[in-house]
Amino acid sequence: MLEARLEQAMLLKKVVDAIKDLVQDCNFDCNDSGIALQAMDNSHVALVSMMFKADAFSPYRCDRNIALGVNLVSLTKVLRAAQNDDVLTLKAEDAPDSLNLLLESVEADRISEYDLKLMDIDQEHLGIPETEYAATIQMPSAEFKRICTDLMAMSESVTIEANKDGIKFAANGDIGNGSVTLRSHSNVDKPAQNVDIELTEPVTLTFSLKYLVNFCKAQPLSERVRISLSSEVPLLVEYLLSNDKNSGHLRFYLAPKIGDEE
Amino acid sequence: MARATRSKAASGSAAAKSSAATAPAPSNKSRYTLPTTATNPPKIFILPRKATSEARVVSLPNPRYNKPTRYLVCPETGIYEFTRITAPKSTPRSWLIDTSVNAGTGAENEEKPDPKKPESDDSEFGAYVTKGAELYLATSIDPVFLLLPALVSDETARGEGGKKMFVESDDYFDQLSKASPHFSEILRWGSTRQLLESRMATVCDTVDAGGEPMYRFSKEKLLTEMLSKAKRMSENSLPPSMEEKFVAKALEAPVLGLKREDTTTTNSSDSTPKVEPAESQSSTEAAETMTSHASEASTAATSAADEEATVAASALKASMQASPEVTKLQRLRVAFSFICSSYIVPSQVSQLKQQLSEQKKLVDFSPLDDYLAQVAKLRQEAASSRSMGDYSRKHVLDEEELMDRAEKKRKMEEDEKRKKAGESRGVKNLKKVNTSGMKKMSDFFKKKT
Repeated sequence: MLEARLEQAMLLKKVVDAIKDLVQDCNFDCNDSGIALQAMDNSHVALVSMMFKADAFSPYRCDRNIALGVNLVSLTKVLRAAQNDDVLTLKAEDAPDSLNLLLESVEADRISEYDLKLMDIDQEHLGIPETEYAATIQMPSAEFKRICTDLMAMSESVTIEANKDGIKFAANGDIGNGSVTLRSHSNVDKPAQNVDIELTEPVTLTFSLKYLVNFCKAQPLSERVRISLSSEVPLLVEYLLSNDKNSGHLRFYLAPKIGDEE
Repeated sequence: MARATRSKAASGSAAAKSSAATAPAPSNKSRYTLPTTATNPPKIFILPRKATSEARVVSLPNPRYNKPTRYLVCPETGIYEFTRITAPKSTPRSWLIDTSVNAGTGAENEEKPDPKKPESDDSEFGAYVTKGAELYLATSIDPVFLLLPALVSDETARGEGGKKMFVESDDYFDQLSKASPHFSEILRWGSTRQLLESRMATVCDTVDAGGEPMYRFSKEKLLTEMLSKAKRMSENSLPPSMEEKFVAKALEAPVLGLKREDTTTTNSSDSTPKVEPAESQSSTEAAETMTSHASEASTAATSAADEEATVAASALKASMQASPEVTKLQRLRVAFSFICSSYIVPSQVSQLKQQLSEQKKLVDFSPLDDYLAQVAKLRQEAASSRSMGDYSRKHVLDEEELMDRAEKKRKMEEDEKRKKAGESRGVKNLKKVNTSGMKKMSDFFKKKT
């Protein structure tokens, strides 16, 4: 039996909003350490991995492993009812055919309760090893989103080039080309605006911008985003679920484009 | 597939004789086995009684496929080919061989080309069980087939200007010996050489040059020879399996329900010799009915043209009947092509067939051709009418099927809709993204077990 109380219902709403444009149906795997999700897009070139740690909830109780097969569009519809300060409680039986969502508004003394039908989803899980990346960039998530949407106007794909001079996002399209270059810098007043680049070796990779723009839908989750690159492995875009590291993360992986210079 | 029966037009008497010894009863003369080894188990051969003890198995090129093939050559009585008969794969059988019964009498103990083994060896292995129930049947083969490759080949007897020359038989034999070392050996045995030369003369023009006969291959003679073989083969009835498949089937006209009724009233019903499957019928019976029909037909019709006219008339009225004459021609044609396809190289076969169709005076196939053309026409009509019938029948079915289909379609559409509804705009848009050059995630990350 699962019972998890989330102080901020909006947190789950943001997560679901970020994933729903990438994945249609997926399993929320609940166990005693928290609620995890791993899913791929239809083309299997991108992967999303979410971890809601037990610490993010108060209280959190899950005796047995439970897989909640959810259609994300349906879940979005339910979560649309959540208001900013609502507290969300998730409840499910051990072998559930529905997920119970309870939305409590402390201020308004209002309780909304929803039951969401679940489905059986056959999903394969991939083991993702811890990787030492050649380049890791931490930057404001809004900045990353802006770069991606701007370059999207030029081309379908972006080449990310990380070297000691900085990091360059370049797009080459029919109407011309454009690029954005960022250098490491720190803002003492607003540390959230810092751009931190860790580089062990220069790396250049090309990615589909449509996918990156899609990942950026997670931007409301967190002020910061961490982008990690290494040649020949998928790009990692990571958002923390809240500024507290113990809440969990939302990670996106995207396969680089190979041999297709555009 | 094992060929159960193989008619030998060349020497029918020998074939009959050997088939008398066919039964694996303890008939002591017809039992041959090879020495037993793990890799080479004993094989069972049935040899003709008239073959002498001097007969040997030799390897000669197959006249049709030009591959070395084993033949039994007897210095006195001629050359025999082996036909392998096997049980079908679905019903495996095996041989239980008891050699002790006739260990002493086995004067004709025969191995493959190897020399004779002492008889004691024979009794040594006593009873033996073989895995495959293969039976090798030796039946006479006309040596002329074995000579044909040399006779028709371009190498020998090619004079200046590409014209065939008269050549001594030795030249032909030399060429054959090149292909098979055994050939020169068998030439020295008994009357083999005389036999080969006499057979060679039947398909060659000959001249006498200083007491030595010279030979030149003649296509016309070959055709006459083959045709006479085919005639002998088809004289009575072909083996039942061939008769059924190639004669009855080929001549069978399609049954057109209503017209069929007329048939029985206008024609005497017994004039259809093979409406029923011929399998239960013994071949001699069939032959008898055939001959009686032939005589009836000859009294009724004076000329082939008349016969054809009546055939056509009755055929039109009564969805076709093969006249005895037509059946006979079909049989002849089947026999001819069987001989050709068994013993003669394909290139030569096409020439022979062309010659056969050109030389009307040898045998005129036109009644058969006319009949077959008519059958083909009828079949086409029947097929088209049947497909029309199917069409209308389908319509009747459709009443229910249509409902079913509509139901299914509706369900499918609903499913689709639901799926679409469960698909966000972002997911839809991502489907359009060009993912060429992007590897799948499973290429990077291993599946968790």
